[in-house]
Amino acid sequence: MSVEIGQPVGRGGGEPRVTGDQLYVADIHLPNELHAKLVTLPVAHARIRAIDASRALAVPGCRMVHTAADMPGEMPRFGPQFSDRPVIATGEVKYHGDPVAIVAADTKDAAEEAARLVEVDYEELPAVFTVAGALAEGAPLVQDPALRPGDPLANTNVLREHRVGWGEVDGATADVVVEHTYNFPMVTQFAIEPHAFVAAPDGDGLAVWTTIQHPYWLQRVLARAVGLPLARVRVHAPDPGGAFGGKQHAKYEPVLAFMALKAGRPVRLVLSLEETFQAVRRTETQITVRTGVHRDGSFAFQDIDAYYLIGAYADIADRVTGKGSYIGNGPYNWPAARILARSVLSHTVPSTAFRGFGNPQVNWAVESNITDAALTLRIDPLEIRLRNLAKKGDHFIPFDTPCDGDWAQTVKRAAVLAHWDAPKPAGHGRGIALGIKSGPTTGLSHSLVRLLADGSVVVYAGTQDMGQGARTIFAQIAAAELHVPMEQVSTVMGDTAVVPYDQQTSASRSTVLMGNAVLAACREIKAKLRDKGADLDDGTQSTAQAVRAALGRLGGEVMGTGEARKEADPGHPLGGSAAFFEFNATAVELSVDEETGDITIHRHVAVSDVGRSINRLQVTMQDEGAAIMGLGHTLMEHYIFDDAGRIRNLGAIDYRIPTSMDLPREMLSDTVENGDGPGPYGAKGMSEGALLAVSSAVAAAVRDATGVAIRDLPLSPERVWRALRKRDGELQSSGA
Amino acid sequence: MQVSLTLNGRIRTVDVAPHHTLLDALRDDLGLTGTKECCLVGECGACTVRLNGRIVDSCLVLAAEADGGEVTTVEGLAPDPGQLTRLQSAFIDKGAVQCGFCIPGQLMAGDDLLRRVPHPSRAEIEEGLAGNLCRCACYEQIFAAVEVTAAGEAPAESVAAESSSVRELPPHVVDQ
Amino acid sequence: MRAFAYERPTTLADAVALLAEHGPDARILAGGTDLIIRLRDGTYAPSVVVDVKRVRELAPAITQTDGALRVSAGTVMTDIHDSPLMQRWFPALVDAARFVGSVQIRNRATLAGNICNASPAADTVPSLLVYDARVHAIGPAGERTIPLDDFFVRSGVTTLQPGELVTAIDLPLPSGRVGSAFQRRTRRRGHDLASVTLAVALDDAGTTRLAYGSLGPRPLLFVSEGGAPPLDDWFAAARPSPTSMRASPDYRLAMLRVLTQRAMAAARERLEAAA
Repeated sequence: MSVEIGQPVGRGGGEPRVTGDQLYVADIHLPNELHAKLVTLPVAHARIRAIDASRALAVPGCRMVHTAADMPGEMPRFGPQFSDRPVIATGEVKYHGDPVAIVAADTKDAAEEAARLVEVDYEELPAVFTVAGALAEGAPLVQDPALRPGDPLANTNVLREHRVGWGEVDGATADVVVEHTYNFPMVTQFAIEPHAFVAAPDGDGLAVWTTIQHPYWLQRVLARAVGLPLARVRVHAPDPGGAFGGKQHAKYEPVLAFMALKAGRPVRLVLSLEETFQAVRRTETQITVRTGVHRDGSFAFQDIDAYYLIGAYADIADRVTGKGSYIGNGPYNWPAARILARSVLSHTVPSTAFRGFGNPQVNWAVESNITDAALTLRIDPLEIRLRNLAKKGDHFIPFDTPCDGDWAQTVKRAAVLAHWDAPKPAGHGRGIALGIKSGPTTGLSHSLVRLLADGSVVVYAGTQDMGQGARTIFAQIAAAELHVPMEQVSTVMGDTAVVPYDQQTSASRSTVLMGNAVLAACREIKAKLRDKGADLDDGTQSTAQAVRAALGRLGGEVMGTGEARKEADPGHPLGGSAAFFEFNATAVELSVDEETGDITIHRHVAVSDVGRSINRLQVTMQDEGAAIMGLGHTLMEHYIFDDAGRIRNLGAIDYRIPTSMDLPREMLSDTVENGDGPGPYGAKGMSEGALLAVSSAVAAAVRDATGVAIRDLPLSPERVWRALRKRDGELQSSGA
Repeated sequence: MQVSLTLNGRIRTVDVAPHHTLLDALRDDLGLTGTKECCLVGECGACTVRLNGRIVDSCLVLAAEADGGEVTTVEGLAPDPGQLTRLQSAFIDKGAVQCGFCIPGQLMAGDDLLRRVPHPSRAEIEEGLAGNLCRCACYEQIFAAVEVTAAGEAPAESVAAESSSVRELPPHVVDQ
Repeated sequence: MRAFAYERPTTLADAVALLAEHGPDARILAGGTDLIIRLRDGTYAPSVVVDVKRVRELAPAITQTDGALRVSAGTVMTDIHDSPLMQRWFPALVDAARFVGSVQIRNRATLAGNICNASPAADTVPSLLVYDARVHAIGPAGERTIPLDDFFVRSGVTTLQPGELVTAIDLPLPSGRVGSAFQRRTRRRGHDLASVTLAVALDDAGTTRLAYGSLGPRPLLFVSEGGAPPLDDWFAAARPSPTSMRASPDYRLAMLRVLTQRAMAAARERLEAAA
């Protein structure tokens, strides 16, 4: 019995996850391992004068206290965009949580005690941790200008500027112009599995176990850092326990590699939840949008001025700025547009990739402004969007992939599910917003598939299954192509020594790119079998029979390799055009308790254009998960800083994410599937789309219910309450 | 100090430091890594185990406190290796398992709820599982798994069959 | 966590002796839901932890004694909200107990621990105050009873003397009809630390009792024996923290008013419905 594409087949790897047998990195122990603990300072920015490790080293079982002074030669620097980040802090700590030393000991207790006893003589320095602070005259520079020779911005905290535009914005006429500034706060990924790493000598090479999303990228970083050939660096990457972008890039693997090679023993570091908040976060933004619209609702121009507040080290955050802002205008036809986005360095946790990759932030500003324009013109916010929505084939971004879906169909479907035209119950408000994100702009995925002598199949795919169900998707594709039942397919992932190269797991790319690679590998197997006179597709015999006959007396197996490649385009501002777009329409109906500011979401609708669901159940899980994560950002999540740039709400007690009791009363998700994607069977990538427009839709609904427009997040009860009291003229001064 | 406890039905004795938690002992000394470590402040529920008939956050229990007690972890839910309980099957069936890291805790909480309230309402399920965070946010799917188990509709499955069968979409998912 | 020694007395006398012996170097472990967090973050660094859960005199129990419901020190929140006696006589405490953390926390957190921790935001305290709870304590100098309103000094500080521990909390059974209710303000519907907690009790003699917490260094109780209660005066005593992460002072004060109204209405309804 073979499996149909689209069927909601059970998650591959589900069983070990429900029995407790699934091994995550923190569950793995190596013989003779050392336990590591980070030493950090309670400041956002400081000069390190001296580190005294003598008391720490005196703790029985403490084997090593590693600092910048222990690094051989010049301090290696790494980073996916710029090699700006030292392997360990050198001379300065640049954010609250930047480690100055790492202790390694025989036991966790000894490591903890030793870490407490490392004495650091430091001088606190002024820190910048807001856009205004970073750009102020005379603000301390986060990055040494010497790292950017010849860069006119080197003596500022602006790392880079990104400009996109077309048409004439300054001369454009419009009947209505609305201009507002919107703020999106710092939030953190908060995967339930904290980052974990083990580095160990491996013969004359290095082996690493890590929660990483991009094993092959990390392999390159490590090889360069420690000076080993790629073939001697092995990255084991067990399925992460949630990642959401926060586990894409190297963090502590490089420094642990040095420590392990020096000690000759494995070194193991498991971050506390608080330490993960100090390791990864989303880019905060302050975006001013000036939107011009004609009286009939057609769009005239869009002028976006954006600051993306990134952390002390760039990580991939400048790409977030560039890629997110690039499509900031949204899925509409704009006659004229100007987008200026800047990455601004600050003495804060390095921001990195996070589901949505810069798009939720700009969506918050742009979609809210479109709603504002619609209300000013007294045009239905749904109608104004449909009027200007790009149609399939429209070059809505002049030099990029044209609109690749029937987006109007998606929007109308959301409106139907949201009962958009039905009368609202008293006190209810409705909001709708559209989200769009560019898929991957380059890509390279290899797959190897082995059809074994008994008709069972092994699929090798370098994608990381961090909850999105990649294992199941590839197994489904192989099962469908090779006509075998799912239980005869196994997948091998997460080991760079065994699995062929995959560029990365991000940008919702894997179903399309790795999926196509798996498809191609299966088709190569079928071609080889056809050469031997066996056609798997003609249905005359089972795959097991066909293989046995084709392999003959010697037996063996039939192998196929496949590659999916999307070349870089050096002339393109993003290095390549979008492979596809994730498009989503989110509509929300809610009511507001005007006395307390509490929001009750009665209905949350998310419709995504996915091309073709390989697994409908997994698509639903991803979309709903993204929507609820979006609600977390919208209603309750934010870092709280003190006056010196220290994070006050580290950990789970004062950083709130949605619990089982914080869900919409009704959640409806649906897909549009026209088979018009570049992936297997017409699939597009998905999993980020349903997060993009949540804030805008919720705020629009709050405005519909109460009349107040709120332009900062989160919409906590207190913030909503304050806006309502201002509306009623009851507040003398503006509050927090 | 020595601690003796009945762990997943077997008597185990282990040497622990007084300041080690039950979570530490389970994961580091007793070889059971199914129970997970995350927030360590009793907020996320990833460390949920059953202690003397009630679920607790094992990160807030000293190993010493479990001396003489009865502890069940996720590894002890199923009666036999290779068999899954109805609740475990339902979790897979209903798409409640994404990254899986919160799942042991969710299972312990779901199991506990169904023992106390055999036919829970939606509100009772929300409250019963409120101490278990899921960042992948498959809450709806987790609720569905608890509901079908309560309704007696989840089949007890053996391990081998789980991958191949086609699951049902949650009722609120629109499927044209 | 730093290392410590672990003691597990089985009698009250042994527990008292241990606490006397170790003085400020000892900490009492009941439910652990507050203590373990502090041991881990280093705010407490005792050399001895005294686990009182096996002390037989403190075993979980809710009994009707001397015209009161007596809650032994080992009684946990789950026991309280499941207790038919509690549900009948003290619904505002049941409401509060239901809100403490999650099921996992409620299975461990003791009522005694909640008051001894003396957080101004302790969920059960406003209800206990409007119910005129009394605290039984024992120490080297013997036993004594403390009205709950005299128990709190400020955040983290009670009037317990060195070496004293709480053995039980009494809730006097009301003589007439009472209607009571509990309200709290949090940042999400899921479990959360409260930025305002309050309870109201009304009786058929016209007495109004209001207690609120998380609005100053300790929870406060106000009683008015007839006529309209002077709510504005009562609210004026609130001192919300200007530096709190959870809520700003003006929001807290506004919520105090809103939640008091809601609690009053609910209490009135319960009073009218009381047999």
